Formats: sequence, structure tokens, C-alpha cells
Amino acid sequence: MKNNHWVIYFPAFALLTILLFSACDREIPIQADYTDYLYSSMDENGGNWVPVLLTSADEITIPVPEGVQSAGYQNELAEIRQLTQNLNGAQREAIGYWSNNPLLRWSEIALELVAKYNLIPGPNADGTYPLPNPADPSAIPNYPFAHPPYAVRALAYLSVAEFDGLISAWHYKYLYNRPAPGISDPQIIQAYIDNGLPSYPADGAVIAAAARDILTVMFPLEKDYLAEKAEEQMSSLKWAGVNVESDITAGAQIGEAIATIALARAKTDGMSKAQCPKTVSDSIKAAAVARFGWHWDNLEVPVRPVGLCPLFGQVKLWNVPTVEEVRPPLPPSPGSLEVEEDMDLLNYYADNMTTEWRATANFWQDGLGTYTPPGHWNRFAKEYTIKYKLNPIRTARLFAYLNMAMMDAGISCWDTKYYYHYPRPINLMPDYQTIAGTPNFPSYTSGHSVFSAAGAEILTYVFPEEGNLFRNWALEAAVSRVYGGIHWSFDAILGTEEGIACANYSLEVARVDGAD
Amino acid sequence: MKQLYLSIPLLCGMIMLPWLVQGQTPSDGIMMQKNQYCVVMLYEKSSFDQYWEGTLLRENATIETVHRHMVNGGLAIGFADWFNLLVNLPYVSTYSIQPNGGHFAGASGIQDLSIYLKAAIKDFEMESGTISILGTVGFSTPASDYLSDYRPYSLGFGANELSLRTILEYNNNKNWYLRGSLAYLFRGETKAERDYYYNNGSYYSFWMDVPNAWNYQAVAGAWLFDGSLQLEAQYTGIKSVSGDDIRPYNAAQPTNRVNNNTIGLFAHYHFPKPVGLGVVAYTSQTIAGRNSGKSFQIGGGLTYYFNL
Repeated sequence: MKNNHWVIYFPAFALLTILLFSACDREIPIQADYTDYLYSSMDENGGNWVPVLLTSADEITIPVPEGVQSAGYQNELAEIRQLTQNLNGAQREAIGYWSNNPLLRWSEIALELVAKYNLIPGPNADGTYPLPNPADPSAIPNYPFAHPPYAVRALAYLSVAEFDGLISAWHYKYLYNRPAPGISDPQIIQAYIDNGLPSYPADGAVIAAAARDILTVMFPLEKDYLAEKAEEQMSSLKWAGVNVESDITAGAQIGEAIATIALARAKTDGMSKAQCPKTVSDSIKAAAVARFGWHWDNLEVPVRPVGLCPLFGQVKLWNVPTVEEVRPPLPPSPGSLEVEEDMDLLNYYADNMTTEWRATANFWQDGLGTYTPPGHWNRFAKEYTIKYKLNPIRTARLFAYLNMAMMDAGISCWDTKYYYHYPRPINLMPDYQTIAGTPNFPSYTSGHSVFSAAGAEILTYVFPEEGNLFRNWALEAAVSRVYGGIHWSFDAILGTEEGIACANYSLEVARVDGAD
Repeated sequence: MKQLYLSIPLLCGMIMLPWLVQGQTPSDGIMMQKNQYCVVMLYEKSSFDQYWEGTLLRENATIETVHRHMVNGGLAIGFADWFNLLVNLPYVSTYSIQPNGGHFAGASGIQDLSIYLKAAIKDFEMESGTISILGTVGFSTPASDYLSDYRPYSLGFGANELSLRTILEYNNNKNWYLRGSLAYLFRGETKAERDYYYNNGSYYSFWMDVPNAWNYQAVAGAWLFDGSLQLEAQYTGIKSVSGDDIRPYNAAQPTNRVNNNTIGLFAHYHFPKPVGLGVVAYTSQTIAGRNSGKSFQIGGGLTYYFNL
């Protein structure tokens, strides 16, 4: 026996294999990899852009700042000097993390919260379904259920508040022209690349306060987490040497004021009635049967008695005048040749599923537990903001129009869904099985198609060089639902047209807001 | 020559649990001799209608009862009395019984190719019997483009795995034995078809980290009827060292912390003729777990070994 040799060789061989194997593991990114950058433009006239909710940039007032020679300001500078010269590791990390475009980090935070709360309530033991309760958010299931309509609405209020807040901030920045701390005091070394942006009020503090206040209402259980994040971000402005205390106080004042205005609109926009009771839901279904002779049914076990947000179609729109004018035409009837052909198509995909189709279905699925399709397009907006080095106000404008357009598109889509109440493929094909989860709402039109087309139109407007890419992505997202087996092809095709039509109303507003 | 007659090194612990997918684990204490070969063909089925969502045992009519079938082909080669090579390639198919609330398609295809090197490290002869120390190094890798991020229907966890195992066995002269084995499973990353997922926080990548795990087994067994029938009672466990829990009423994913414990019975009968032919049968039940199906499993097949 050669056993004795193996006492040595075998473990040595094993160890070597482990070393080789562990070298293959990579770091998986949890956020965008970017640092502070030189803005591609400054938009000194940003204070003249047309805001969404404010009547004018100076509707929110802040104190006139003290002069740079004043004792008060000199004391503030002394604090910054002291802080910037004594940074610890955590403070340096915070400076690097928040960067000079912190809106992008708040976008990531918002998407993470969407993913965290995008969990559909499961049934009780008796077969009934509980609903999250905004009056008691920590009850099981937790409030909210951050489904796509909920998510796009939260993102819209967040982005609109940030945009209006920065218009106000830009107005005062160039009105008062307070120089950055490093200019008044050469001993203060600013951590970020100098863009020459006037420092009063702090644009970063506008973002921190507005994002904290909006997201706290949208995700009430995250109140402490959000407060901690906002406090760190505001402090990082001092650690980075870009703002003094009075800059931050004034910025936070604007952020809080615009958040209050945005939340007042949110409170009465109709969302609280969107998840209507069963009696209303049944009457919506009955109306569709009377009009069209068909209806959609939930096929879960146990049956979920009400679809997702039947009245989301009545939520207040941003830029589309009424849902009726963007409502797509009547879909083909079940039993018609066109629907028979679509059944053949769906069966063909299911029976001949390729890795490529499957990958497309999964890449765009953005289902339960994820940041949803609107979240996906916010992610793209972030990535292209970094690529094109947008300044904070132009970033805010992109996100505001993106999310207004997608929320309008979602409202229009939900109106269409419950107006036509069209059955899903599994409703019309009893033995049909899907690779994607069939959602709890009618088929026509496809939410993914509508959200994505609207998102792609806004991104194309802001980054025209990338337009083909964005529009192809939107088409891919649309067809992915057909590959997934949960939508008809006409859901995707008409949904894409609907999304474009909705986005055009937002683009009409954007084109004359003073930024072009 | 009992040792030759009974050398079927590939079977013990070949337990494929839904949602666990621990793969094949050659955890027995038997070595084949030089120039001895063994082929194995197994069929196995398992199912569960309850699973642990984190630590909560629940049912879910969306997936109803999930079934898993596996056909597994294996080959073992004795390069030397103290050094064997084992190879395995299963075909797996999964589905939910009808009706169910999810209407999801199942999956089927070739799962993972596994290769193990097994070595007898040291024997201690005693009056009552022998204590043997053995070791295995194993490597497995997905052998098709199956999607791991499709729980509970995915065929496997979709990542490379390196396993290191030590086996300690006491063989009593009166034809009974006790065995313990402990393995550490280094698992790599699996590629999903989405580049964002939530794992107690956002991850912006196609790659998902499949948690490493400990795998342990305790066995009591006996050779009966002049060594022609081998019977074993097994207790097997897997314990991930990291990972997240399945979220409420949400699908599982490859990043989950999968733990479970199963008890099982195993029997292997060797026909007197034709020499080398054997039949195997086994069953197991998951008795505890976390992010794992509560599975019942039954399997059986043929073994044939020969010398060249």
C-alpha cells in the first residue's frame, strides 16, 4: 500500500485545487461604480426652467446668505477647515459614495426599497388574502406592496420633487453667487472636482431632504434608515468641503418645502382608492362582459378576489390630459383568427423555447422581488447620466420626465387593462404553461411594453445618440412577455404604441421648459 | 474475498433533494481495487408539497406539489487499490402537479457532470475490526445551459462545486460498520439571466453567489447473507455557511441559505450470478430544513462491476 504518500499528497492536491477555485470568485457589484466628475454643462439659467409643481423658482423662499466676510460665514468656514483636515475612514468613504451627483445614490436607494417591498401578499390559512395596511405598515403583510404602479408613482414623486427643488436651488445659487468654501478659504481642499457651482443653497441638501421626506412617506417602515442616509449625505457635503452649514440648512429647507408640496399632490391623486373593494372590482368586470363579452379571471389558488389596482387608471395624470385619448383600440376577440394565430405563436415559443428567448424573457421580467420595469428604466437613466456626465439639475430633469412619462403610461395602461378586461393566455389555453409568472391583472395592454416604450422615448430625447439602443430595448422588453407566455403579441405591439403616445405628452412639456 | 465482491463505491448519499440539489456525494468507505470498474444506472423520484420559507414550514398552491425525476449514470474506476476515480452525469426533470396556481412550465435536461478522486489514506487494524480514513476531492460543473435561477424547477444550482471530504469508517469483524463523513462544499457563482436581484440588498450583476456548505453524514450498516446484502440507515445533513432566506410567498433563488437534514434507508443486493450484478434501492425523508423542500425520495437501479 502506498497509503503513506497519500497522507501528504492528497491534502496538498486538495489545497491547491481550493486556491485555484477560490481565485475564480468575483466581487458582485451592489451599486454603480462612479466617482465625482466634471459636469458636461452648468446650466446657469436652470433657475429659469419651468418647474412641475412650483409656480416659480422663488415660490420657496430662503434667507439671504451672509456675506463671505461676515463673522458668521467665517465661523462656518472654520468648521469646514477643521472637518476637512481631520477626516476619518468612514467620512472619506461617505464622500466617495455620495459623489457630486448624489441624486443617483438616492435613485439606487429608492430602487432597493422597491425590490425589498415588491412582495405580493400570500393567502391566509382560510384562503382569504390580506392587504397591506397603510395605517399599520408593520402588520403582516408589510406596507407597501411595491408593485409596478406603486413603484412608478413613488419614483415620480421623488424625481419631480428633486427636479423642482433643484430649479429653486439653481435660481438662488446664481442669484447670490456664494463661492464654494475652497475659494473663500484656500486652506479648504474640496474633495470633489471643482465645477464652479455657487454653493448657496446646497443642491446636495435639497436632494437629501426631498428624497428622505418623499421616500419616508412611500416606505414608512424605512423612516430611520432614510433619516440616517440623509444625515450622512448632508454631513458628507461638509466633509467634502463643498458646503458650509448655512448652505446645507437652506438646501434642506427647499428640499423639505418641495417634498411637502409633492406629498400634498400624492395624498389626493387617487392612489389610495386604486386597490378597490371586490364589489367595485366585480362591477368593472361585469361592465367589460356587457361591452365586449369577455373578461379576465385570476387563476391563482386560492383565487385572489381583486386584481391589482383596478382603479389605478383613475389616478391623477402628470402630462397626459385624459386616459381616453391614449386608450388603444379594441383588441381582437377571443375565438377570432388573429387570436387563434397568437395561440399558435405562443405554443410555438413554448414548445421550441431557445436559450435566447428564455434569456430575453428573464432579463426583462423584473417581477416580484425586483425593482420592477420602471425601476429598470431608472437604472438605465442612472447609467447614462454617468456616461454623459450630466450635472445635478439636468439629471433631476431626466428622472422627472422619465418617471412622469412612465407613471402616465402606467395609468393609461391600467385604464386599458380594466376597461377591456382582456383574458391572459392561461385563461384561454387551459393546459398552457409559462416560464414567467402570470400577473394578477388583465392582459391587454402589456405593462412592460407601455412602461418601457415611455421610458425609452424620454431617454432617447435626452440622449439622442443612444436612441436606437433604448428603443430596441423597449421592443425587447415588450416581446419578452410573449416569450414568457403571459401576453398576446397584440398586448405588446399596442402597448408599445400606447407608451410612446403617453411619453409624447411629457416630451411636449419638456421641450418648452427652458432647458433645450 | 468480500472486499472485491462488495466494492460499489458510488451509491451512498446519492441524494438529490429538490431546492437542495446537493449532487452526488461518494461518502462510503469502500475502495475498489486496481483494474476494477463499476457502472451504475439509477432512477430516482422525489416530491414535496411543503417547504421551509426561511424557517417557516409552509404550503404554496402556486407550485402545489413539485416532482423531480432523475436518471443517473455513473462510472467508477479503480486505478489502484488506494485510488479511485468516480464520474456521474444525471438527467433531471421537474414539474408541478396539476392543477396549481402558478401554471409554470417545469424543466428538464442534463444536470451536472461530477468527477471525484477518492483515496484510502490510512487503516488502523484492531482486534475487533478496522478503522479506515478516506478522503475525496470532487469537482462538478453544469453540463448543459439549464437555468439555475428558476426555483423550484431548476435542475441544479448551476455553479461549479469543489468538495473536500473526509470519511471515517469502523468495520467490525462481525459484519457491521459505522461511518461518519464530513465535507466542505466550495460553490462558485451561477449565472442568472437577469442582471439585478435582491439578496438583502441590491445586486447589479448576472452572477449570483451560491453559498458554500458543510455536508455531513452518519451511517450504521451491516453486511448480511454472507455479504450479499448491504443495509444502511443514514442521517445526512447540509448546512450553508451564508445566504439569504426565501422572502414571504416569493420564489427561492440560488443565493438562498439552504439547510436540511434527512433520514434514509439504503439497500444493495449482489446477485450470486451473474457475478458483478447488483440491485440497489433507497429512500429518504427530509425531517428539518431551511429554504428547502420537505421531500420524500425513493430510488433504485442496477450496478455492475467487472475487472479488466
